[in-house]
Amino acid sequence: MTNGAASAARHLAPSRADRLLPALGVGVIWLFLLLFLVYPLMRILYDAFSDDAGRLTLTNFVEFARDPYYLRSLVNSLLLGLGTVAATSVLGFAVAFLLVRYDFVGRNLFSYLTLIPIISPPLVGVLGFTFIMGRAGTVNVLLEDWFGLAKPLNFVYGLHGVLLVETLHLFPMITLNVVDALAKIDPALEEAAESVGARGWKKLVTITLPLTTPGYVAGALLVFIWTFSDFATPLVLGVHDLLASQAYLNIVQFVDRRLFRMGIVISALMVALAVVFLVAARRYVAIKDYSSLSYSKIARRRLSPLRQAAALAFLSFVMLLSFIPYLGVGLASVGKGWSLTPFPLRYTLGYFERVIVETPKYIVNSFLYSTLAVVLCVAIGVPIAWILARTRLPGRDTLDGLNTLILAIPGTAIGIAYIRAFHFDLPLVGRGLTSLWIILPLVLAIRRLPYTVRGSYASLLLVHRSMEEAAASVGASGFRSFSDVTLPLIWRGVLVGSLFSFMTSLQEASAVLFLSLGGWETITVGIFSFYIAGSANEAAALGVILIVVAAVSVTLINRIAGTRMGGMFG
Amino acid sequence: MKRFGILGLAVLLAAGASGPAFGQAPIESELALITPVSKFIHDAALKAFADYAKEKWNVPVKVSAIPAGTPVAYGRIVEWKGKPEVDIFWGGESALFEKLAEQKLLQKVEISREVWEAIPASIGKPRPIPLKDKDGFWVGTALEPYGLVYHPKKIQRLGIPELREWDDLLNPKLKGEVAQCAPTRSSSSNATYEVILSMYGEDKGWEWLRKLAANTGHFTARSRDVPTVVAKGEYSAGFAVPSYMAFEEKLAGFELKFVAPKNAFVTPEPMAILAGARNPKAARAFIEFLLSERGQKVFMERGLFPITPKYKVQGPPGSPAELAVEFTGGVRSYFEREVSNVYDEDVAQKRSDALKQKFRTDIESTWRKP
Repeated sequence: MTNGAASAARHLAPSRADRLLPALGVGVIWLFLLLFLVYPLMRILYDAFSDDAGRLTLTNFVEFARDPYYLRSLVNSLLLGLGTVAATSVLGFAVAFLLVRYDFVGRNLFSYLTLIPIISPPLVGVLGFTFIMGRAGTVNVLLEDWFGLAKPLNFVYGLHGVLLVETLHLFPMITLNVVDALAKIDPALEEAAESVGARGWKKLVTITLPLTTPGYVAGALLVFIWTFSDFATPLVLGVHDLLASQAYLNIVQFVDRRLFRMGIVISALMVALAVVFLVAARRYVAIKDYSSLSYSKIARRRLSPLRQAAALAFLSFVMLLSFIPYLGVGLASVGKGWSLTPFPLRYTLGYFERVIVETPKYIVNSFLYSTLAVVLCVAIGVPIAWILARTRLPGRDTLDGLNTLILAIPGTAIGIAYIRAFHFDLPLVGRGLTSLWIILPLVLAIRRLPYTVRGSYASLLLVHRSMEEAAASVGASGFRSFSDVTLPLIWRGVLVGSLFSFMTSLQEASAVLFLSLGGWETITVGIFSFYIAGSANEAAALGVILIVVAAVSVTLINRIAGTRMGGMFG
Repeated sequence: MKRFGILGLAVLLAAGASGPAFGQAPIESELALITPVSKFIHDAALKAFADYAKEKWNVPVKVSAIPAGTPVAYGRIVEWKGKPEVDIFWGGESALFEKLAEQKLLQKVEISREVWEAIPASIGKPRPIPLKDKDGFWVGTALEPYGLVYHPKKIQRLGIPELREWDDLLNPKLKGEVAQCAPTRSSSSNATYEVILSMYGEDKGWEWLRKLAANTGHFTARSRDVPTVVAKGEYSAGFAVPSYMAFEEKLAGFELKFVAPKNAFVTPEPMAILAGARNPKAARAFIEFLLSERGQKVFMERGLFPITPKYKVQGPPGSPAELAVEFTGGVRSYFEREVSNVYDEDVAQKRSDALKQKFRTDIESTWRKP
């Protein structure tokens, strides 16, 4: 590390103060990552590979492998992940293709609406879904009342329900990445294909799809890991035989130390699997593909009226399905005693009053922690992006790897790792980091760092080096030219990345749930604690607030970044 | 005001210990709980106490709670190793409190003698349920039966009579219509499983529980979800539901019904002060407050019953207290009636691990959604 810092200093600047400052900066960045990312993960891996006495052992994994229930959970998790990837791919590709290649009435509207499903906050989405599609949901009630259906249809409770909810939630990840990739394909390639007779399906399979692979794989990996590590959705739907559910359920019951350790083991296993998938995906394609940054001008094909109608019907149907959660949450946030009627019979604003006026702490905490997290993200992330894009510092690849790794690690595992790693009294403070609220912005910053890095990195690549060189030629140091020349040019990318970090910080639940103590509750923790306290209505009201904030953020991001959000997820 | 005698003494001692501190407040200005008792109750109790402290000592107490299932709460207290993040542990099985006391993670409650003595040592026959710890480490706060809930409209649609007894849950027409929480995650479920095993004996008991599982359509993640999914109408009946959780749904406007069948477990909702608590004086004052008439009223208006024969659930017609009496089948006090109990603390403790293990192997791993 000191080596890196020293050579950075040599590389960057002549004067002594100028040499010290960047070296210090690089040191701080590395220290931050080592302390808040590498160390907790090491700790949880150590826990998984040791027994109560601290001796290294494999027994925990042997126990896992011998337990048929855990094995079933592992298989189910893999199947669910793959199933969701398959389903989101079909849906995501179809939507992306329509949006990029064809022109029809309402195309712009739909390309914005496509973003909406991903802003659905954790837990609330699935709750909203059950309000409409559950056994006593609107659809079943209508079927029973109008068509005399004897027993409600089970749309959601079970693995198929998890698959449905995750697919409708996550397909935009594929769409965004594919839209991004499609927009970068040089039309000349497809024209060439056509000139040698490859048309329609053949052109699609041999030319177009392979060219979208990098973007697609990045999206698919995120869909997989998201589904793989989501425990809120399956728990609401009564599915316990999944790895994420088991990790959560085993960890939150502390009494049985053996089960507790198994929870840690499962988390460690999830981290390990996530890393394997990440490495495999990176082997397959270079995920970060900014090589062709020129977005080609696409000639959109105008559809015939009949096909236009078909496209509209398809998109409307998909959007209708993915808006079910919002409808459910919206109704639940104002409906009182809603049971066995298609819509609530009585309405109240009492739930909003309770979560906004009586207990504003959820909103206050959320904004405070997310803002602090974004400040950290910018302070750490922009320099990281700069190191990646502009320097040849040793450890660059590791830095890049760590940054991508964060995207792959389940939040549950990070939360648990922090509990294990930081529950000791700090010198001077006399209390553990786990009993100081600053741990929440810290964990949020780590979790959402990649978005800021990605956003800044992409913009940095667009700034031509010659500008910085010009600055250097008139005597500005590396550091100075960065702050005076580069930063003003890349603010847009930084802003988009930061807004994205901010929005996703507001929505973060898994890691924060494990670390939150009384008084620190964020909106998502509030949603969870209202839900487990039996007040689904207050949870829904908080959910609506979060959805509105996220929708505003997405609109802003969209305004600033256009449709080029895809790169953010890769 | 004798009951503040000890508190006064404690204040004097504390003042003496820390030198001349004349202006010292009688209690600290913070109080934190960890509790499986749901928000509906703990929020109300904390708020009532904060109001009381403001009136009485003009101390604005910053109150907070970490909501956590009993096993989680217990586990976190153990993890804290005597340096707790909160002052009070409230709710769950009294046996866990004794386990904590053994590990020296609790301090004695030490409330005024008068308040302590107003609480009977136990309730119930043939097995007595302790209402306070003989060594003084925990004290009961309110009585709360774990019963069953059902949705009257759903039951009517299924064409079965209103539920009265445990066995009514095994009606074949309820196939896939029962919701319950795993005893591995919920202390109310665990206690009710234990009741069934004590009632029917080990073999027949498990047979009964397997039949219940066959009728079960949904294992919830937490016990609190059971009345929620029934109130909404997602499922028709729920097993092992604390009375107040059901009453909360009723107050929220749902048509939910509650029954405490014979031998339903009654918990005293124990409360204890953690060893190393940062706010011991506030904690003590909180306990004394909850056991006063004003404190007990917080419970009585929310579907719980007084812990002492001194008070009864009553209020003007149409008041929440009267609604609660009607909802729980006309009960005003558990000290006015015969309380039938078969739950044996010692047996339950000895069987605890085996029960959970057997649930995992016999029910959880073979259960398929009907």
